[in-house]
Amino acid sequence: MNTRVTSEKPRHSWRRLPQGFWWTLPSIVVLIALSIYPMIYSVRLAFGDLGNFTRLISDRTFGIATVQTIVLTAVALAAEFVLGLALALLVDSLSRAKSIFRAGLLVPMLLPPVVAAVAWRLIYNPQFGVLNGTLRQLGVNTSALTWTNGHNSALLSVIVVDIWEWTPFLFLLLSAGLQAIPPDPIEAARIDGAGPWRLFRDVTLPLLKPTILLALLLRAMDLVRIFDQIFILTQGGPGTATETVSLYIYRTAFRFSNFGYAAAMSFVLLAATMLFSRGLMRVMRAR
Amino acid sequence: MPLELTSITKRFGSREAVSGVSLTAGDGEFIVLLGPSGCGKSTLLRMIAGLEAPDSGSIRLAGRDITQVEARDRDIAMVFQSYALYPHMTIAQNIGYPLRVRKQPAAQIAEEVRKVAARLGLSALLDNRPRQLSGGERQRVALARAIIRRPKAFLMDEPLSNLDARLRVEMRAELKHLQHELRTVTVYVTHDQAEAMTLAHRIAVMRDGKIQQYDTPSCVYHQPANTFVAQFVGSPSMNLVEKSGEILGIRPEDVELSLVDQPGWSPARVYVTEEMGNETIVVLSDGSAQLTARAPAGFRAESDTPVWFRFRPEKLHRFDAASKIRK
Amino acid sequence: MKTALRYIAASIALLAALAPVYWLITISLKREVDQFAYPPQWIGFAATLEHYRDAFSNASFGTYFGNSVLLAALSTLAALAAGVPAAYGLSRFEWARSWDLKIGDWILSTRMLPPIVTIVPLFLMLRQAHLLNSLIGLAIVYTGFNLPFVVWMMRGFFDEVPREVEEAAMLDGETRGGALLRIVLPLVKPGLAATAVFCLVVAWNEFLFALILTQTDSAMTLPVGIASRVTQYEIKWGAMSAAGVVAMLPVLVFASAAQKYLVRGLSLGAVKG
Ligand SMILES: Nc1ncnc2c1ncn2[C@@H]1O[C@H](COP(=O)(O)OP(=O)(O)OP(=O)(O)O)[C@@H](O)[C@H]1O
Ligand SMILES: [Mg+2]
Repeated sequence: MNTRVTSEKPRHSWRRLPQGFWWTLPSIVVLIALSIYPMIYSVRLAFGDLGNFTRLISDRTFGIATVQTIVLTAVALAAEFVLGLALALLVDSLSRAKSIFRAGLLVPMLLPPVVAAVAWRLIYNPQFGVLNGTLRQLGVNTSALTWTNGHNSALLSVIVVDIWEWTPFLFLLLSAGLQAIPPDPIEAARIDGAGPWRLFRDVTLPLLKPTILLALLLRAMDLVRIFDQIFILTQGGPGTATETVSLYIYRTAFRFSNFGYAAAMSFVLLAATMLFSRGLMRVMRAR
Repeated sequence: MPLELTSITKRFGSREAVSGVSLTAGDGEFIVLLGPSGCGKSTLLRMIAGLEAPDSGSIRLAGRDITQVEARDRDIAMVFQSYALYPHMTIAQNIGYPLRVRKQPAAQIAEEVRKVAARLGLSALLDNRPRQLSGGERQRVALARAIIRRPKAFLMDEPLSNLDARLRVEMRAELKHLQHELRTVTVYVTHDQAEAMTLAHRIAVMRDGKIQQYDTPSCVYHQPANTFVAQFVGSPSMNLVEKSGEILGIRPEDVELSLVDQPGWSPARVYVTEEMGNETIVVLSDGSAQLTARAPAGFRAESDTPVWFRFRPEKLHRFDAASKIRK
Repeated sequence: MKTALRYIAASIALLAALAPVYWLITISLKREVDQFAYPPQWIGFAATLEHYRDAFSNASFGTYFGNSVLLAALSTLAALAAGVPAAYGLSRFEWARSWDLKIGDWILSTRMLPPIVTIVPLFLMLRQAHLLNSLIGLAIVYTGFNLPFVVWMMRGFFDEVPREVEEAAMLDGETRGGALLRIVLPLVKPGLAATAVFCLVVAWNEFLFALILTQTDSAMTLPVGIASRVTQYEIKWGAMSAAGVVAMLPVLVFASAAQKYLVRGLSLGAVKG
C-alpha cells in the first residue's frame, strides 16, 4: 500500500517516497556507515600509493601466506565435506538416539573459536599435551611428534583443528538437506529396483546438490579468512609455517602500522572471496 | 447510494487488473462480483477495503469520499478467503478485537462477543485457538469478527471456497439470512455461479478487469448481455452456434429431447450422457456440432442412439457475431 | 550387526567431538599437580574450584565477562532495532520488493566481506572518533556485523506471516505500526528470539574485531582476555581453562534454545531445516 494523504494539501516531495524506503532507512544508514564508507576509506588507503601493489608481487611472505591459505582451505574443505556427509548419512540412518548424536556432534562448532583453540593447545603441547601423553601410554615414541610446534606438522595440525571444529557445520546443513528430501522419489526409485548405492547416487545426491553447494561455499568463504584458531594456536609460526593472509594482514596493520599495505592485501583477499560469493549467489538463484 | 464506485482503474506494472469499473450498491443490497480467476475481483474488493489504492477513480461510502481514507478509518469489515484469523489469540479475542482496537470497555466487549458468538453457534469454542477449529468454524469466527462492530459495509472474498460442498450450501443459506437481518451493504466475491445466483440481489459479472453486466440474477441468467456472460452463468453452459452473421444461444434446459421422430424435430445422435442423479445431461452430436441438453433423471440412452430435438424460437438468445453483444 | 557397527561409528564420532571439550573441563577442575600428570587423568582426579575463583576474582576475567555480556546485549538490541523494520519493509512493500534482490545481494555480500577488509578502516575511523577501547565502539561495529543477518532472517519469518492477517487487523482499525506490533510481531516471536540468539552468540564469540578494537584491560571481552593469556610466556592453564568453560556455557545454552532454527540461521535462511 502506498502512502496515503487524507488532507487536500499538496504532497511534499519526500512524502512521495515509497513507504518501504522509510522502513529500510535505518539499516541503510548503518550499512553505509559501517561497510560502504569503510570500503571507500580502504580503497583510498590501498590505492593512494600504488607502490603497495607492486610491493605485493615481490613480497615472499605474502606469497607463502597465499599458498598456505589456499592449501588449508582446499584440504580442510574436502575433509570436512567428506566427513560431514558421511556423518549426516550415518546419523540419518540411525533409528534411535538420533537427537543425542546430532546435538553432541554440533558442540565443537558452537564454542567460541578462542576456547576451542585453547582446548587444542592443551591437546597438542608436545611435552604435557594429552595427545602425546595418550600416545606414550600406547607405547609410541613421541619425541618427534611436535604437532603445532613442528615446522612440517604445524599446518596439518591447524587443519585438523579446523576439521574438528567445522565438520559439524557441514554435518548440520547436510543433515537438514537430507531430511528435506521428500520421501516419494526415494520410494519410487526403490520400487524401480534401485539398490542402496544407486539410490544414493541417482536420487539422494542430485537432490542434495543445492544444499551441498551452499554449505561448501559458505564454509569456503570462512576458511579463506581463517584467523582466530591460528592466532591462538601458532600465531602463524613456527617461522611462517602457518602464516595465512588474514594473519599477515593483521600483523602488517597492527604490529607494523602499515595500514596502506594491509588494505592493499585485504583487497586481494576480497577479490578471492567475491569469486566465491558470486558463485554462491548464482547457484542459489539458479534453483 | 451507500456504496458508489466511479471509473476505478488499477494497474500492476503495465497490466490493468481493473479497468474503469463503475458500480453502485443501494442500502442493504447484496452485490456479488462474479468472474473467472484473475479477472480482478479481489483487486477491486481490496480497493474498496483500502488495502490497495486505485490509480484513478473514486469510491464513496455513505455519502463520504473514502478514496484517500486509510483502511482502518473506512468502517468496512472484510472476510478473507483464508479467514485471516489471529493465530495467537483465542476465539473470543479474535471476535472482540475490532472493539478492543476501538478501546471499548472490556465488559462491553465481552457482552458483545457473547451475543455474536451465540448467534453464530460459537459459544462453546470461545476459549479455543483458531488452529483447533474446523474450516467451517473458522469461517464463522471470521464472520463474527466482521459483524461485531456493525460496519457500514461487508466485503467477502470467496469466504466459502475452502469449505466442503455440503457445508458451503449450509453456510450460503446462513449468510443470506444474516445479511437480510443486518441489512448492511455487502460486496461478495466468488467464481461459483451457484453462489452468485442464490445470494445476490445484483451480480456484477467481470472479465479482464471490466464489468460485463451488472444486473439481478434473473436478468443475468435470462438476458445475458454478451456471449461471455451467457456462457459463464448457468451450468451446463449455454449452447452457442454461429449462423448467418449472428450467434444463437440456447440453454440446455430449453432443448427438448425425444427418442422417437416427431414432425418438426431435428435428428441427432447421443454423444455421451452424464447422470447427475436428479437429472441427466445429454450431449448430442449431429456430425458437425455438439449440443448439450438437460433431460429428466429417467432418461437413458447409449452413445450413438438416434434422438430428436427441438427448441422454441422465443427461448433463443441472439448475439452480434462481431461484438458478441446481445441483440 | 550392521546396526551395531553404525552405532559404534557414530559413538566414535561423538567421542571425538566431545573429548577436547571434556579435556578442557577436566583441566579447569584439576589441581595444578594433576593437570599435566602422566599418564593423563581422564577420570577420578580430585576436583577443585580454585581456578574458577582465581580467574574471576584475581585475574580480570570477571570484568571481561561483564564486558562480553554488555556488548552482546547492546549490539543485539541495536541490530534488531534497525534490522526488524527493514526486514518488514522488504517483506511487505512493493517498492522494497522490487529492490529486494538488489538489497538482498548487498546485505549478503557485506556479510561475505572478510572482516579483515573492513577492519583497517574501521580501526582508523574509531580512532578518530576516540572510540577505541570502548564498548560503545565495539558495539557499533558488531551492530553493523549482525544487521545484514537480522534483515535477512527476519524477512524470511515475515514472509511466512500471511499478509491477510495484518490486513484484517488494519480493517479492524489498527494502524500499520499497530498491526506490526500487536499482530505480526507476536506471530514471528520464535523467529525473533532465534535471530536474537544468533546475534548474541556471534557477538559473544567474536574475536578479531575485539582483539583489535579493545586493548585495555577494562574494555577487553572474554575471548580477547583468554587470548591475551595464551600468548603470554607463562600460561596459567587452570584459570584460562576455567575462563574458557565459562565462556562456552552461555553459547551452548542459547544454541540449544534456538536449536530449531540453527540450520536456517547458519545457512542465512537458505535451508529451512
Ligand atoms: N500485488 C500484485 N502485483 C501484481 N499483480 C497483481 C497483484 N495483485 C493482483 N495482480 C494481478 O491482477 C490480476 C487480477 O488479480 P485478482 O487477484 O484481482 O484476481 P481474482 O479475480 O481475484 O482471481 P481469483 O479468482 O483467482 O482470486 C491478476 O492477473 C493478478 O496476477
Ligand atoms: Mg481473488
